[in-house]
Amino acid sequence: MKTGASVFPALVLLVMTSSLARADAAAGQAAFESSGCQSCHYTQGPATEKTIADQLAKKGPELWYAGSKFQRPWLETWLADPQPIRPMKFNSVMEPNPGGHAVLSADQAGPVADYLMSLRSDIVVDGAVKVKKKNLKGKLIFIKKMPCSGCHQFPTKKKFSGGLSGPSLIGAGERLNPDWVLAYLREPKVFKPVKMMPVFVGVLSDKDMKNVAAHVATFK
Amino acid sequence: MTRVFLMALLIVALGPVFTGAAQAADGKALFGFYCAQCHGTEGEGDGPNVTGDFPVDPRNFTETAEMEKISDADIRNVIIDGGPIADKSPMMPPWGKTLTDAEIEALVGYLRQLCNCTGKTG
Repeated sequence: MKTGASVFPALVLLVMTSSLARADAAAGQAAFESSGCQSCHYTQGPATEKTIADQLAKKGPELWYAGSKFQRPWLETWLADPQPIRPMKFNSVMEPNPGGHAVLSADQAGPVADYLMSLRSDIVVDGAVKVKKKNLKGKLIFIKKMPCSGCHQFPTKKKFSGGLSGPSLIGAGERLNPDWVLAYLREPKVFKPVKMMPVFVGVLSDKDMKNVAAHVATFK
Repeated sequence: MTRVFLMALLIVALGPVFTGAAQAADGKALFGFYCAQCHGTEGEGDGPNVTGDFPVDPRNFTETAEMEKISDADIRNVIIDGGPIADKSPMMPPWGKTLTDAEIEALVGYLRQLCNCTGKTG
């Protein structure tokens, strides 16, 4: 009886919380659509790009797995104060990113983050990557053995280093879900069938992919 | 009958020209998408990734004399397996799991256009 008495309020709270989350996600979807976000970002998977032309026709990154890719606190903050993630304009090799992404109000950013976090890919395995303060094997692969740093900026002791054509990984530890990074390395074409980044399946072992994802998760 | 024969002859004669042009167009698009990041849109080794931090100089494909020293097979191998297969930098990624054989051939053909050379044979 005592146990039942304590479980009941907890259950009520759980139901209320999940109902509120659903309500916020629905409000977020409405705000996403009324703000015109869909003109650059598609939210229905699976990916359908087959050619370079298909990829180049996209105006912004696809978001149909945003809830698996991003971390919610970062996402809400970014939506209200978006700063460029890519040094170069999306899909451009030579044109610098001019910035100027649409800004959501503080009232909209939370619900839109809820909506985007509800968009998930079922191939992302929760808890697959064990994140520690350091992952030296991953670091070695990222900097020396593989060309990751050639295209992605990353933090260093001085400030930062790396190439400009890929999305910056500065702050990736707060931005990206390490389990998504692993899933992306394992099955890149599920997320981005045509992309400028090489496929590392058959190049890196699964263990090495986990190490790289764990190393990226340390980037501040 | 003669007209049909002449048309057939024309198609056979021009076939390789059209095929070559299509391959060059594909090669250029592939190069712009995958390779220009480091090798530059004109293939001069000056893509946006070549900042002061970049540890090596990506190959300039317009340097005819240098490109003459390597064979199509050498180019193909480096595209597939990356720089280390030719004792070059791992900054050149292995594209073998990304590109199809036809795309790799189109790229080899496009690099030969950029260098305006045929390269070492054998």
